Amino acid sequence: MKNIIIFCLTILILSSCSDQTKKSNEVNLYSQRHYTVDEKQYEAFELETGIKVNVIKANADELIERLKNEGENSPADLFVSVDAGKLQKAGSFNLLQPLESSIINSNISEDLKDLNKLWVPITYRARIMVYSKERVKAEELSTYSDLADSKWRERVLVRSSSNAYNQALLSSIVANKGADYALDWATSLVKNFARDPKGNDRDQVKAIAAGQGDVAIVNSYYIGLLLSSEKEEELKAGKSVGVFFPNQGENEGGSHINISGIGLAKNAPNKENAIKLVEFLTGVSAQNRYVNTSYEYSVNPLVKPAEIVGSWGDFKRDSLDLNQLGVHRNSAIEIFDKSAWK
Amino acid sequence: MFINILNIDGSAFLYLWDNLLLDYSLNTLYLIFITSIISLIFGIIPAWFVSNYDFRFRRFFDIALYLPLAIPTYIMAFTYSDILSFTGPLQSFLRKNIPSISEIFNADYLQIEVLGVILGLSLYPYIYTACRLSFSLIGSTYINMSKNLGLSGIKLFYKVILPLSRPAIFSGLFLVIMEVLNEYGAVKYFGVNTYTTGIFRAWFSMGNETAAIQLACLLLLIVFVILFLQKTFSKKTKFYYSKNSATEKLRFINKNKRFYAYFSCFIPFFIGFAVPLSYIVTNFLINYKDVNFSKLFTLSINSISVSAISSVIIICVAILFLYVEKISKLSINKTINQITSLGYVIPGAVIGLAVILLFTKTPALQSFSLVGSFAVLIYAYVFRFLAVGKSPIKSSLEKHPESFDETAKTLGLGPLKTLRKIHFPINKLALLIAFIVTFVDLLKELPITLILRPFNFDTLATQTYQFAIEEMMVESAVYSLAIIVIGAVMLVILKSMVNKQINAS
Repeated sequence: MKNIIIFCLTILILSSCSDQTKKSNEVNLYSQRHYTVDEKQYEAFELETGIKVNVIKANADELIERLKNEGENSPADLFVSVDAGKLQKAGSFNLLQPLESSIINSNISEDLKDLNKLWVPITYRARIMVYSKERVKAEELSTYSDLADSKWRERVLVRSSSNAYNQALLSSIVANKGADYALDWATSLVKNFARDPKGNDRDQVKAIAAGQGDVAIVNSYYIGLLLSSEKEEELKAGKSVGVFFPNQGENEGGSHINISGIGLAKNAPNKENAIKLVEFLTGVSAQNRYVNTSYEYSVNPLVKPAEIVGSWGDFKRDSLDLNQLGVHRNSAIEIFDKSAWK
Repeated sequence: MFINILNIDGSAFLYLWDNLLLDYSLNTLYLIFITSIISLIFGIIPAWFVSNYDFRFRRFFDIALYLPLAIPTYIMAFTYSDILSFTGPLQSFLRKNIPSISEIFNADYLQIEVLGVILGLSLYPYIYTACRLSFSLIGSTYINMSKNLGLSGIKLFYKVILPLSRPAIFSGLFLVIMEVLNEYGAVKYFGVNTYTTGIFRAWFSMGNETAAIQLACLLLLIVFVILFLQKTFSKKTKFYYSKNSATEKLRFINKNKRFYAYFSCFIPFFIGFAVPLSYIVTNFLINYKDVNFSKLFTLSINSISVSAISSVIIICVAILFLYVEKISKLSINKTINQITSLGYVIPGAVIGLAVILLFTKTPALQSFSLVGSFAVLIYAYVFRFLAVGKSPIKSSLEKHPESFDETAKTLGLGPLKTLRKIHFPINKLALLIAFIVTFVDLLKELPITLILRPFNFDTLATQTYQFAIEEMMVESAVYSLAIIVIGAVMLVILKSMVNKQINAS
């Protein structure tokens, strides 16, 4: 027993020592993204530049806390999040510095850029509606606001308000139309729920297929994933629903989108490598990899969406400054609680 | 962290009170209630049959009944919701073959009751383990005596065995309740708001630390109440297992009873392990060709080594605390001991952040950038899982009469020597059990690993989660399978050791 303990402690000490030896040709990421495609991107980047990408993956809020507490000692170069709101939050804690590069600048669509240059978008996704092809006609759908109408009583499916995508959606409504409007909307929408919010986005689609509800609010890329499922039954469920981009009318702002983005850490020890990585990720080859593996939309105007996603057609994006998704986050959550959106 | 409670911000509490508290409390208590009932039923009854009766496949069930412990609760929840869902195998099969009744099964399964059953299924082995050991150690003296007094069958079970095993059952139940209290992944997925989801929401989403800490305090309050209940119950039943009573085997004659035995052993094993496992295996076979086996190997080594090292350290710390409590008899030590167990009820992510705060804000530690090293990760594990390692050791220590220590003292052994020469050998079994239980728990650990791990360090659990959260159950299958297989192997080893010990005594 004693020997085992000594043995283990030795390994422990050795392993933590080897950790301390720092290589300079690397870049350190704190990332909320944990898709398979990311690993492929980092491998490709390493192959191209010889710079090793080190990653810690965890939830955005926890990573922000970690960055905040580590302060000047933080090894992080880049903070990656799937929500502009979290990037705005990191920025508001003074954890980020402007990320400037002419290559990045020319890679990205103008309307997706951060006004403060504190973060760079790498992909985006839309929060869309899917509907039962059997029970709903596409013409019946129009806007997020319309889902609160009593004609949808007990027909709407959506996941819990703890989910960051829903929080971002409601934040955008607060930003566009004010908190009072948002509260009314959420309260009416809750009355239209087919069931208590639960499960993930895929589960909402399955619930439509099962006849538990008629229309659901989901992220675009989950539908892409579902439609490329290797399971016959899931594929069938995916095909039983139609995709609808809300708020496309002339006087409407466009569908709610959110970005995956990267911010340069305030005390980044490998700043140059970090910028190289972001240049790489926004470039055409990396962007193609994103759209075809994880079914997100590209931020680079030269890159077309994946075939499945492209088949839904083009849509008008909500032009709201995405930092507003972070600014109004707390009031959005309070509205969720008041409207009893679980 | 808890210093902040002192500057209580009334508005945060009012907000909680107005909007959420009732919902959180009811859900938490209801969930604890269902899970406890299920795990008590699935834990105690099979343990009774296996410990006292001889029937075919008894040895198999004795091992098999431990195995659900190898499946992380969130994987169990994701898997079952997939199985039961509209596109899952059950409903698809019914639609194709028996369309007439398929409508009956087409329901919303993401309900708190279903969640309670699922949690009960993955947690009942805590109670089974405790009961199994206790039932076997009670021995024939008590049983014979009771029989002479005219008790038999069910009455014997209720009047003698259960009261005698109460401390063991409670220690198992305590672990179950703690697991339910800090459960996050499964609970969130089912849309059930408990204190833990509330803490996450308040702290992380709203940045409202005060509200989060107030909720954490309520959580701790519940734990204190449970601890208090356990104490008052155990007080009445202070007894020691008599040393020289042989364990006894009974044989079945009654066919009816045999049916009950099979039924009560088969059900928990089947729906707690066989069903989810075979579903995961099916998923694994679907994308067999895409599996990266070298990565699987690396992650397995990572998981095994970090869990093994941490378990050993946890057990050393547990022995230290328990032994000091045992020999000093000061009530302050008892209190300290109980406080150190509280780590188990605090959600992992909260511990992770508290540890980051500790290592970045304490002046003495600040200058070393320790966060992100294995040392800090393991420190957090110890804090979180001490209670798991302590529980079996504690109940084993309590079973041995005080006279052992007194005799040792009169023989001139110092406390350290007594520990090494007497307690170490006689509690060896408990130490091994503690090691394996902790190991299996660490293998499944997620939130602490996520936030405190070093760069590029992935474990099987983090990889599984990574796919599961992105709703890619098929891709996650191979990694959850690895967790389950490693955990199951450890549990089988554990079981064979326990059996050897039981037979030897």
